[in-house]
Amino acid sequence: MMTTTMTLLKDIVPSAQNNINTKFIVLEKGNATLEGQNKLCMALVADETAAVHVQLWGDECNAFEGGDIIQLTNGIFSYQRNHLVLRSGKRGKMEKVGEFTMAYVETPNMSEIHWIPDPMNTSKYIQHQVISVHSRMFPPIA
Amino acid sequence: MASRLIVEAPFEAENQLELSLRQAFESLQPNLRPPFSFSISIPNPDQYSQLNRAILHGILTEPHFAKTHIKHLHGIITDGYAMFINLLIKVVHQLYPKLLGSVKSQLLWVAEEMIYVLGIGIDVLLVSLLRQINGGDFSDGNLWLCLKMATLFLNKWQCLLEEEPNVLSCALYVFLRVLADHCRTNRPSDQNFETLRRLEVYLCVKIVREEFHLCLRIGRDFIRLLQDLIHVLEFRDIWKDLMLCPSKFNTSRFVNVSQLYRTRTCSKYVLLRINPEMETRLRFLMTYVKLGHQKRHQIWFFQKFLHEPDRETIIVDIVRFICCAHHPPNEIIQSDIVPRWAVIGWLLKSCRSSYVEKSVKFALFYDWLFFDESVDSVMNIEPAILLMVHSIQKYIDITHNLLEFLLYLVDNYDVRVENKVLIAKGVSSALQLLAKKGVIQSYDVLTYCPALSPTLKEGLGRLISGVKS
Repeated sequence: MMTTTMTLLKDIVPSAQNNINTKFIVLEKGNATLEGQNKLCMALVADETAAVHVQLWGDECNAFEGGDIIQLTNGIFSYQRNHLVLRSGKRGKMEKVGEFTMAYVETPNMSEIHWIPDPMNTSKYIQHQVISVHSRMFPPIA
Repeated sequence: MASRLIVEAPFEAENQLELSLRQAFESLQPNLRPPFSFSISIPNPDQYSQLNRAILHGILTEPHFAKTHIKHLHGIITDGYAMFINLLIKVVHQLYPKLLGSVKSQLLWVAEEMIYVLGIGIDVLLVSLLRQINGGDFSDGNLWLCLKMATLFLNKWQCLLEEEPNVLSCALYVFLRVLADHCRTNRPSDQNFETLRRLEVYLCVKIVREEFHLCLRIGRDFIRLLQDLIHVLEFRDIWKDLMLCPSKFNTSRFVNVSQLYRTRTCSKYVLLRINPEMETRLRFLMTYVKLGHQKRHQIWFFQKFLHEPDRETIIVDIVRFICCAHHPPNEIIQSDIVPRWAVIGWLLKSCRSSYVEKSVKFALFYDWLFFDESVDSVMNIEPAILLMVHSIQKYIDITHNLLEFLLYLVDNYDVRVENKVLIAKGVSSALQLLAKKGVIQSYDVLTYCPALSPTLKEGLGRLISGVKS
């Protein structure tokens, strides 16, 4: 079995590197759109500590549904056309490892935080302010 | 490359159990063809385990070599088939819904072989297969499993009766419940479905008429299931005999139906109607999800198990499961986790037909009717009272509806004098124990509730004090 350290969603920080190993449950999936040849789809995912927006790409868009538990290996959390999203990118992968049996919170949402370069170390980001407590793209259900 | 046991899905992590069987098969493949070398030396535990896994994979994926594999298995067994059957149980428990059709056929075939050799754990294997028969599911795959299992029980009747009579009680429980679906459906009847239904009726009637002691083991839920079949001729006759001529069942221990009423049904029967996937999810919901945050989990559960119109009848089984088989510890009860009554409230609201809604309410109150502190658990009756009390503020129609139904049952469920007395006494002791144990502080919240009709409040008051109407 693979033994990678799992990062909790509350601890992910924007970065240009594919270095995030984490596990989350899909809460909602938006409609797929086409960008050139490629299918893209946004999803709201969460774990016990935080939520975040995930960008699904290509066949990933049809592979996962609400309630699926996904393990992301070597994922990347970065800006894509002004949206801060978590995705597998070219070197990462997403795999369904279960369904249903994961508790979650919807706030904070790591994509709804404004990040600024760390004055102490400009290659790193730190949290500047919360833009919205919940996802604006997927508002909480009543 | 060896064949797969399950339907492959891209983006899905490998199942570790399937992987371990496949790897064992691949590494031992050359040794799985005759002539076999049954060496004198006993394999070490690791080799023995690998060989069991490899042969199981061979049986499941190579139907044309299955007889060869089974001979090989018989030759190497030193543990009464305990390990082999344990692996089969794991396959059923973890993988059954995903198994390929041909693998399912092989699984049923090898299960019957294991009855033949009376392998250790065969009872557990048969029970886990019974759990894979879904209520309210008219898909070909589910009807196929019903047919296979009913046939298996009839083929192996004598052997099971002598060695594993318990399994026949379980089979009766499952097929009575399944028949309620199969006899009520308005789907266009075809020859195969009719054959299946007749076979299921035949099996159940055989057990009840010839081996009534197996019904006594089930207890009161046997009656609950039977009454859903009262419109079917064979079961109407059984019902009449139960009520009027108990001696017809040739069981000296059986005196009258109140004896069944007073026998609490063991939770293992209730679990038979909840498949492992449903069980895991329901237990998760009531162990880890916080009240107020359960909406999405409920939606996912509904979409997976209750969405199709026919499947609604399993709500009754789920409510029985929650009342009788899921008893959370005090730490959970006192925490902010979704309580059982809230899940039942949601399920009650999810009922689409009035017939199912009535059966759900009946399932919720069933243990109240015959409640006896010395044999029954307060946990079985707790959800109903808490649902009534917690609904007063926002869902008074639920409180009203449930209370009305309870009073109706007390007056009408069994109108023969001695049973009517038994039921009134059962409900009174249930109410008294709930107050004594502190589940509810006081009934004032109900008996002084301005939104409830005076008749209901009077009826409840009579039951609380235990005064005859």
